[in-house]
Amino acid sequence: MNQFEIIVQKEKDLSYSQRNKDLLSYYILTLIEQEQASRKLKRKLGIFLCISLVAIASLLFSPLFSLILSPINDLVNQLVLYLSNLNLLNILGLATVSYGLSFALITLLMEQSPTDLN
Amino acid sequence: METDEQLVLRTLTEGNHYYGILIQRHADYLFGLGMRLTTGRRELAEDISQQAFLKSYTYLKSFNSQKSFKHWLTGIAINCYRDMIRKENQYTSLEPANEAGYTPELQCNKDFYSLISPLNNDEKVIFILKYIYEHQTNEIADLVNMKAGTVKSKISRAMEKLK
Repeated sequence: MNQFEIIVQKEKDLSYSQRNKDLLSYYILTLIEQEQASRKLKRKLGIFLCISLVAIASLLFSPLFSLILSPINDLVNQLVLYLSNLNLLNILGLATVSYGLSFALITLLMEQSPTDLN
Repeated sequence: METDEQLVLRTLTEGNHYYGILIQRHADYLFGLGMRLTTGRRELAEDISQQAFLKSYTYLKSFNSQKSFKHWLTGIAINCYRDMIRKENQYTSLEPANEAGYTPELQCNKDFYSLISPLNNDEKVIFILKYIYEHQTNEIADLVNMKAGTVKSKISRAMEKLK
């Protein structure tokens, strides 16, 4: 047997031992479970997103949505029409009337029961 | 006792617990292979073994139960070692025998590490598989994804270097 064969044989006879196999196994299984959980979560999020998109799209294009939307649309149109017809004098008049009414109401209430308001 | 192939099947059908048994069964073997490939660097050997187990789990469905699980795992570990070298080469060399302050672990066969130190990474892998694990040339070719002729020529080149 030459020196080469002796060295190789010595290496063959040597047995290596992994430190704490239980811990290694537990650690690897934990990593695997983490990876699986993150993959599941991503898949669930993807499915949820797809379903939401489909639901929103079908709602937007459904005749029911136009039925819901038409009264809202009418109200908005009326509001826009009302706001476009308003002028500054009308607003000031309206404000004066509102403040006047509020003042009158507060005064009336204070006269009737001053202690309650305090 | 269940065979590796049965445990693989049970892992795929019944859960990860059975993979834990496979890990425990092959941990020493992969660690030893890692130690020899990295010429006695325990941390790197542990990394290789860990990566090999994780990768093998990822591709467990593609495992052909007609073949040996250990053989398949060995191929994965060798790929992990190659990936590690590719990454390590960007920063530092993985050739500890040439480093001034490097001392291998006490339980290791320093003579063996010195013996294989002139070999490049591919030659080292092939040499270890042939002379330590006593694999046939065609098995080595399968493990390292090379043609049998290439493996033979690499073995003879390695032997030339070691003379």
